[in-house]
Amino acid sequence: MSPRGRLGLFLAGAAVVAALFTVACLGLPPFGGAHHPYGDRAVRAAVRHHTSNAIASVNFDQRALDTLGEETILFSAVLGAVVLLRQTADERRHTPAPAAVRPPIRRFGLLMLPVALAVGLYVVAHGQLSPGGGFQGGVVVATALHLLYIAADYRALERVRPLRPYEIGEAVGEAAYVITGLAAVLAGSAFLANVLPYGTFATLSSGGTVPLLNAAVGMEVACGVVVLLAQFLDQAVQIEGADGGGSDDDGPRGPGRRERA
Amino acid sequence: MDTAGLLPLVIAVPLLGAAVLVAGGRRLPRIVTDALGCAFAAAPAALALLVLARVAGGGAGPYAVEWVGGWHLAGGEGVGIVLVADPLGAGLAALVSVLVVAVLAYSWHYFEEPPRRHGGAFTALILLFQAGMCGFALTGDLFNAFVFFELMGVVAYALTGYRVEESRPLHGALSFGIVNSLGGYCMLLGITLLYARTGELGLAQIGRALDGRAPDGLVLAAFVLVATGLLVKAAAVPFHFWLPDAHAVAPTPVCMLLSGVMVELGVYGVARVYWTVFSGPGGVPHPDLTRALLVIGTLTALLGALMCWRQRHIKRLLAFSTVAHTGLFLTGVAVLSPEGVSGTALYVLGHAGVKAALFGCVGVLLDRYASVDEHELYGRAGELPVTGVLFTVGGLALSGLPPFGTGLGKALAEEAAGQAAGWLPALFVLVSAVTGGAVLRVALRVFAGAGRPPRAAEDGPETTGEAEPETGGRLRRVPVPMLAVPAALLAGALSVGVLPGVAATAERAGRLFTDARGYRAAVLDGRPVAAPAAVAQHWPTTGILLGLLSTALAAALAALAVWRPARTGATALTAPVRRLQSGHIGDYVAWLVVGMALLTALTATGLR
Repeated sequence: MSPRGRLGLFLAGAAVVAALFTVACLGLPPFGGAHHPYGDRAVRAAVRHHTSNAIASVNFDQRALDTLGEETILFSAVLGAVVLLRQTADERRHTPAPAAVRPPIRRFGLLMLPVALAVGLYVVAHGQLSPGGGFQGGVVVATALHLLYIAADYRALERVRPLRPYEIGEAVGEAAYVITGLAAVLAGSAFLANVLPYGTFATLSSGGTVPLLNAAVGMEVACGVVVLLAQFLDQAVQIEGADGGGSDDDGPRGPGRRERA
Repeated sequence: MDTAGLLPLVIAVPLLGAAVLVAGGRRLPRIVTDALGCAFAAAPAALALLVLARVAGGGAGPYAVEWVGGWHLAGGEGVGIVLVADPLGAGLAALVSVLVVAVLAYSWHYFEEPPRRHGGAFTALILLFQAGMCGFALTGDLFNAFVFFELMGVVAYALTGYRVEESRPLHGALSFGIVNSLGGYCMLLGITLLYARTGELGLAQIGRALDGRAPDGLVLAAFVLVATGLLVKAAAVPFHFWLPDAHAVAPTPVCMLLSGVMVELGVYGVARVYWTVFSGPGGVPHPDLTRALLVIGTLTALLGALMCWRQRHIKRLLAFSTVAHTGLFLTGVAVLSPEGVSGTALYVLGHAGVKAALFGCVGVLLDRYASVDEHELYGRAGELPVTGVLFTVGGLALSGLPPFGTGLGKALAEEAAGQAAGWLPALFVLVSAVTGGAVLRVALRVFAGAGRPPRAAEDGPETTGEAEPETGGRLRRVPVPMLAVPAALLAGALSVGVLPGVAATAERAGRLFTDARGYRAAVLDGRPVAAPAAVAQHWPTTGILLGLLSTALAAALAALAVWRPARTGATALTAPVRRLQSGHIGDYVAWLVVGMALLTALTATGLR
């Protein structure tokens, strides 16, 4: 189809869809109303289970099966990326050269790394109390490790990030969520039921199974994002195609320079 | 354990298996990861069959309702997610799981080598795929269905692009991923509209809340958006373009699952969401839904059959045959009768076995001759008599030959469709004959070397079927599982048509599926619903005759194509249609938007 034909087809369809969507939006409830049927019920249920962050209660207690599915989507996406970005028979691997980093950047990165790591772990640990939780905190933790790539170089990153434990950690995070759910079944309750004591409201140990599931997700996300980024970094920095060129076609050639690109 | 308590396990066990394989896959030898994969897939298969036996057998009632996490409704209101197994949902979960076991058995030692440092990755992905599909079949919650919809998608994209050494799998996976993700966004947008209106996410809850007032633009928009997402998965015209591109390049075991069950789950989703959410006075009126699905189903069936006939790349041919049959399934669902649903359910059941067996046979060709091109393989596969027989039987079953399950499903679905519009049985016969005929034509040329060698290629290189074998090198001897699994799948398709219990269960499943009030009562009020009495199902005489007719037509078409190839301008006539399948993702997206507009136009009259 010619670009013009494609655009015409798209616009014709989009006009109808836009009209439909406009009509739909006119039927939405007005802003600022006091009618929040699900919200009211969810907050009541969260308080009943001593979980002060109602979002965490929805994610890890009331609709914990959704979160299992979402965690699994990330798990599958990482596994899929590992499979798709694997080193093929006609690609070879080389060792990236050490790279020079300006001292201010190095100092800043090394200073921020522990701070970012602590923030990430804090966000995971306080998921049932304050905004945040395993998904958000896990990403922060994984990002913190990659400050090393900015502050030093790829080889330094590889030293703190032997991939294998992270791959196992990711699978353990996924399995821990399922096993916590199955444990509730063994305890005579429903799958993913909150069978632990709810604890004292607004303390770290409150919420029953919420902190456990939250921690499982945090582990899975942190390890999963590390593995995921490693696949892309490997592909960009270490793996060369059969023609000797890298996988990015428009960057300057040569491993040493390409690494920083 | 009670039946309802088993439902989460059907989803949880394969997830656990995937985690075990990812954690331990590198250390374990191939045979152990393969065996673990089969065990983790077979356990939920057994559970799903047990659930099916219990909900279909009466006793505890036809619905198993499980509130995950024990979040039961209080005073008709709740915050939790519900899993619901009626005979149809449980049957689909069982079909998915059994097919996954068959696929894992087929791919036993199939691939050359697992990805370096990631043994077990393929098996883990298949298990995740199984969990996603079972979850989708068993959930009674619209948002939860979206989560499993996305899970199926993510895994399927990776599996489609699995053979990264070539560029075409990646391209197929990319268009699959982009088009399906857009469908997913549409579905999510529709869910938010429904949530804004009702404050509910459960299918039964939304349906009951909608019925409190007259339908308006918001309800229609929500239906169009949710249906778009599901129809993309179902590969209905004009949302279908991703399917042939993906199926032609995906590894054979993955094709067996994609064509055998995943696409059909899209049809199931449309029917389930319609009946539970939109079938009441506050939803989309029945005549509008019938009109919309009949138009889309007929277009899908005709275009799929035409394109199927014109292929020489055998995997693409089978992919288009799946498109054509999806059109028939949509037609069977469109007439909104219990008979239509139960006929379609049997058809899907038979089709899953037959189509997976056909893909399995093509896998043998691919691994032995490094080609799946009908012309190139002309007369070369005469040395594989067993594969040839299986492939031919598959072609006959695909064309609706009694007593295969495809024949029974087709007979019942076309009978139900014929009560809505007299010409619909002709569509069933035509599409079965053309798709079955295309498969028989391939069988005649490739396995029997019949007729004259096909003329030199008139097609561009993009439609021919040269490919790398998926096994280490070319197969010298066909491994036993690669023949035993297709044979077992065909036997399964045969038993669907022969065992009277299957048809009787499907008949009851259809009546329960279309009883929105009973579904809501069972889920929301916890009222035990009396199981409808079983009615013995018989092969309708007209259906047998029409099945024989479509098979005879298929054989005649195949014979004509092989011995009297048409020298007319048929190629030129179909060229514009074939050009639509351009491989350009932008085209596919434009068509997706046009499809949404079409759905809107077909259902909008119900507003006033």
